Amino acid sequence: MTTYEKINDLRQRKERILQGGGEARIAKQHEAGKHTARERLALLLDEGSFVELDAFVETRGTDFGMQEKKVAGDGVVTGYGTIDGRLVYVASQDFTVIGGSLGEMHAKKITKVMDLAMKMGAPFISINDSGGARIEEGIDALGGFGEIFRRNTLASGVIPQISVIMGPCAGGAVYSPAITDFVFMVDKTSHMFITGPSVIKAVTGEDVTFDALGGSGAHSSVSGVAHFRAPDEEACFAQIKKLLSFLPDNNLSDPEIVVAGDDVNRLDDALNTIIPDDPNKPYDMLDIITRVVDNGDFFQVHEGFAKNLIVGFARIGGRTVGIIANQPKVVAGVLDVDASDKGARFVRFCDAFNIPLITFTDVPGYLPGVKQEHNGIIRHGAKLLYAFSEATVPKINVIVRKAYGGAYIAMNSKHLGADMVLAWPTAEIAVMGPDGAANIIFKKEIGKAEDPIAFRKEKIQEYRDKFSNPYIAAARGYVDDVIEPATTRQRIASALDMLAGKRETRPPKKHGNIPL
Amino acid sequence: MRKFVVNVNGNRYEVEVEEVGGSAPAVPQSVSAATPAPAPAAAAPAPAAAPAPKAEPAPAGTAGAIKITAPMPGTILDIRVKVGDSVKKGTVIAILEAMKMENEILAPSDAVVASINVSRNQQVNSGDIIATLN
Repeated sequence: MTTYEKINDLRQRKERILQGGGEARIAKQHEAGKHTARERLALLLDEGSFVELDAFVETRGTDFGMQEKKVAGDGVVTGYGTIDGRLVYVASQDFTVIGGSLGEMHAKKITKVMDLAMKMGAPFISINDSGGARIEEGIDALGGFGEIFRRNTLASGVIPQISVIMGPCAGGAVYSPAITDFVFMVDKTSHMFITGPSVIKAVTGEDVTFDALGGSGAHSSVSGVAHFRAPDEEACFAQIKKLLSFLPDNNLSDPEIVVAGDDVNRLDDALNTIIPDDPNKPYDMLDIITRVVDNGDFFQVHEGFAKNLIVGFARIGGRTVGIIANQPKVVAGVLDVDASDKGARFVRFCDAFNIPLITFTDVPGYLPGVKQEHNGIIRHGAKLLYAFSEATVPKINVIVRKAYGGAYIAMNSKHLGADMVLAWPTAEIAVMGPDGAANIIFKKEIGKAEDPIAFRKEKIQEYRDKFSNPYIAAARGYVDDVIEPATTRQRIASALDMLAGKRETRPPKKHGNIPL
Repeated sequence: MRKFVVNVNGNRYEVEVEEVGGSAPAVPQSVSAATPAPAPAAAAPAPAAAPAPKAEPAPAGTAGAIKITAPMPGTILDIRVKVGDSVKKGTVIAILEAMKMENEILAPSDAVVASINVSRNQQVNSGDIIATLN
C-alpha cells in the first residue's frame, strides 16, 4: 500500500465511523425526536471544538456473534471540547450502534475521558442513551459499570459532573447519573428506572407506563432524581450551558466573576412591602430572591421537586452564589423529608465548589405527621443541619419572617456557623409560634379564666409582642443586624466582599458520616 | 377521667370525659412549632380526649378524575369554588390553615369542579380529598 493509499484508507475508515449504526438507524433515531450522539455533541460544544478520542475502539467480545455485530466506536463517542471557551470532557452514547449498550470497551472509553477530566480539573458531561448492559459481554459489562461508578464517586466534589438523559437509562446504568451532581432529562424521550414496566407487571402486577414510571415528569417532581427538565434536546443543552456558567472548573478554582451592570448598592423599596401584615398570609419568596440578585437572574435547581424549599444559583455583584429559601406559598414553607434532602445536597455541592451560601428564611417548622415521622424526618432533617454545619464557604442568612423551633436552627443559623445573620423587622424568631406557645405556657390559667377565649387571645398577643420579633435574637448576638428590607442587596454584597477571604479549617479526618 | 372547659355561646360548661379502654390519644405538647392549630371554637387546650368518630360529610357532587388532596394536616378555612365551576390552572380551590399559614390549595390544571368533599372549619389530614375535578 502506498502512502497515498494509506491516507485514503484512513479517510475511508473515519468516514465509516462517522456513520455510526448506519442510515436506517439514524433515521429511526430522528423519527423518535432524538439527535444522534455526534449531533448532540455539536449542539452542546462550541462550534468546531470537539476532538474525538478512541474512535477506533471496538468490542473484544466473541460470544453470541459479537464479532459480526461489532462497529468501530463501540456505541459511545468520547472526547473533549469547549463550552463558552471552557474545557469539558464528554461521553455521548450512540443508540444507533448496538443500542448504545455498554460493554467492556465502551466503558473503557468512558473511564479514559473521566480520568483525563480528573487530571485536568475540568467538568465531565455524560449523555446517556443506551439499552443498558451488553448482555453478550456478561460480567465484563458489569465490571465496566463498576469502573464508571467508582470514578464518579472519586470525582465527586473535585469536578462538576453532569448527566444528561436523552433516551433509555435503565438498570445499573441509572447509578452513574445518580452519583453525579446534576441530572437533566428531556420530556417524552428520556426514561430512567431500575426495572421497567414489564418486569414490574410480572412481579407486582402493577400497570404503569414508561412515562409515568420513569419519565421526566416523575423524576423532576416526585422522586427528585432529575434536577432539570426540558421540553426538547436543544432546550436541554441551553440549560446545561447556563448551569456551567455559574460553576467553577474544579474544587480548587472559583466561579468566574461576570460583571452584570447591576449596581450592588441598588435599593429596592418594593422589598419593604412584600411581607403581608398578617403573618398567616403567604407570599411568593421568588419575588424577594429575584429583586435581590443581579438582574433578577435566578436559575432554579430542582424546580419541580419539594417546592416548599427553593434552591438555585444566581450572582450578586457578579459573584456566583447558591440560594436556599423557604417558600411560604407551598405547604407553608415547612421543612419535610424531600425539602431537607434537596437543601442538604445543594448546600454540599456549593460548599465543595467554593460557592457562597445565602439563605432566605421564612419557616414555620418541620412538618408534623405520622407519615413524615415514619419516613424518617429525623434522619432526613438532620442532613440539612449537618450540611450547613459542615460547610466552610461564606454563609449568609437573611431571616425575612418566621424562624421557629428546630427549623430556625436548621436554616443556616448563627449556631451552625453562619458568618452573617441579617433579619428584617418582620422576623419572628422564637422557639415556636405564638398560638402554640401561649397554649402551653398558660395552659392552667386559660383553663381557670372567666373567659378563656379572650384570655387566650390576650396571652397570644402578649407572647407575640414579647417574642415574635428579631430583637430578642439580636440582643443575644444570634442576629448580627436588623435591616430595612430595601437594603438587603447592598448588605449581602457587602458581606460577600467582607467574607471573600474566609478561611475556616476543620480537624483532619477521612470523611464525616452524614446521616443518609 | 379528664376535665374540660367548653364555652358555648358565652355559657361556660365543665365537661368530664371518661375514656373507655384503649390507649390515650397523644396530646401534642412537644415544644415545637408543630402543634396543630386548635379548633377555633373550643377554648380547651387539648383536643377532646375521646374524639367522636368524625362523620364524613357527604361529598357534594360526584367524584371526578383529578383528586385534590390536603398536603398536610390542618383546617379548611374557606372553600372558594362550587360544584360545576370551571377553574383555570392555579385557581384557588380552598384555603387550608396549617402550620400557622393560610395555604392556598390550587387547581392543578384547567378543569370543572366535580365534587367538594370538605366543609368549612373541617379538620383534614394529609392525603384527605378536598375536592375532585374533571
